[in-house]
Amino acid sequence: MARASLLISPELCIGCRACQIACKSWNQLPGDKTVNRGSFENPADLTPDLYNKIRFVEVPSENNPVRWLFVSQRCMHCDDAGCMKICPAPGALYKTKEGAVAFNKDKCIGCKLCSSACPFNVPRYDKNDKVSKCNLCADRIAHNMVPACAKTCPTGAISFGDRDALISMAQKAGYAAVYGQADLGGLGAIYAFHDAPKLYGLADKPAIPEMVVFWHKYLKPLSWIGIGGTAALMLLHYVAIGPKKDKEGKDDE
Amino acid sequence: MNKSDLITKESTFGIINHWALAISCIVLTISGFGFLFQIQGIGSAFGGFPAMKVVHNWTGVVFTASLFLSMFNWLKESLTFDSDDIGWILTAGGYLSHKAKVPPMHKLNTGQKFFYLTLLVSGFAIAATGFIIWLMPGNKSMLVLSHFIHNVSFIIITAFMPVHIYLSTLGNPGTLRIMITGKIPYWWAKKKHPKWVRELEEGHGN
Repeated sequence: MARASLLISPELCIGCRACQIACKSWNQLPGDKTVNRGSFENPADLTPDLYNKIRFVEVPSENNPVRWLFVSQRCMHCDDAGCMKICPAPGALYKTKEGAVAFNKDKCIGCKLCSSACPFNVPRYDKNDKVSKCNLCADRIAHNMVPACAKTCPTGAISFGDRDALISMAQKAGYAAVYGQADLGGLGAIYAFHDAPKLYGLADKPAIPEMVVFWHKYLKPLSWIGIGGTAALMLLHYVAIGPKKDKEGKDDE
Repeated sequence: MNKSDLITKESTFGIINHWALAISCIVLTISGFGFLFQIQGIGSAFGGFPAMKVVHNWTGVVFTASLFLSMFNWLKESLTFDSDDIGWILTAGGYLSHKAKVPPMHKLNTGQKFFYLTLLVSGFAIAATGFIIWLMPGNKSMLVLSHFIHNVSFIIITAFMPVHIYLSTLGNPGTLRIMITGKIPYWWAKKKHPKWVRELEEGHGN
C-alpha cells in the first residue's frame, strides 16, 4: 500500500466519541478518572491512556446560538516528524511502511524530547516514563484492517485509506484546501475543514520548533566536523610542523 | 637544585580531579554521540539505549562535581593574565614555528588558561542544561532551549578536546607525566614555566 492516512471530516462528526472507546478497547487502555468540567468533552486533553480524543468547540453566533464543532485530535503522523528528528533512541519511534509514526516502548528511554519537538503537542508518557500515543493501529493495518477509530465511526467522519485517494475525494466533495496536505511533508491525518483550522484548535501553519530544525540541520553535522576537524588539524600539525621536543640541556637556561 | 630534580606541578587532588574530569568527559562524549546519531553499536556497548541514558546521566553528575572542584585547582591561575599572554598569542605559543620565541609563562600557559576557561563555561552550560533535560522535562520550551544549548556546548567541548589531548601527549612529549605523577624535572619547569619557578624559589626564601 502507498502512504495511508485518516481523513477527518468534522462536518460529519456527531460527537458520539465511539472512536475514543474503540481506540481504548483495541489498544487495551484503561479509562481515565476525570471530573465534570461542565463540558461534554472528556477527558480534557490527550493522556497516556487516551490516543484519540474528540475536541468539543462551542462557537455560538447570532444566527446559530448553539453551534458545536467536533474534531478528532491525535497524532498526525507527520511525514517530516519532529518527534523522530529529536529522538535519541533508535527504534523507539519508527515509521511503518504506510507512513504511520509508531512506537516501541522497550526502546524508549523516557527523555521526553519528542514531546518538545511535536508541533501538535501529542506524545504523552505513561507511568513507566515510556512514550504513549496513537500509532494509527499499525498492528491492525498490518493485517489489512482499518484503524479502530475509523472502523467504528458511525457517520464516516473518520475514514481511512490511500492518502492520495482520500485527498481527491475531499476535493471532489468541495474542500479546496485539505488541512495537512502539504504541512510537515504531508500529514497522515488530514482534515476537511469548512472553518478556519484555528477554530478547531489547530495552527494554520504547524511547524517543528525552529531551534529543533536548526539543531537537526546544522548542529548535528557540526558536532562531527568539530571533533573530526580539530583531530585532523592536530595530525596535520604533527606531520607538517612536528612536536616540541624538549631535551635536557637543549635550549636550557 | 639539580637540573633533573623533580618538582611538584600538580597536587594529588589535582591529579585525581583531572582523571575524573577526563574519564567522565570521554564517557559522556561517546554516549553523547551515540544519542545524537542513534548509533546502535555505542548503545549496545552500554547495554542498550535505556541503560546508556542512566550511565550518561550519572556520569554527568561525576563530571559536574569534578568541574566544580576543578575551580579550586586551576581557576585562579587561569584568570591571571599579563602582557606575556599577548606575546604568547602573537607567537601562537610557538606551535607554528620551532624558531618562534615564546614569552616566559607562569604555571599555566595562555593556551591552557583559555582552554580551562572554555571548558569551565561550556562545561557548566552543558551540565546545567543536562540536569534540566533530565529532571524538568515538563516545560517544553525550556526543554527545547536546554537541548539546543546542551548541543552547542557539546560541539565546543568536543572540538577542543583533540587539541588538549594532542598537545599533552604527541605534541609535547613528556607532558603526560604531570597527569600521572604530578612531577616534572627542574630544567623542564624552568624552560616552560620560568615565572612560576622564579616565584617558587623566591617563596622559598632565597
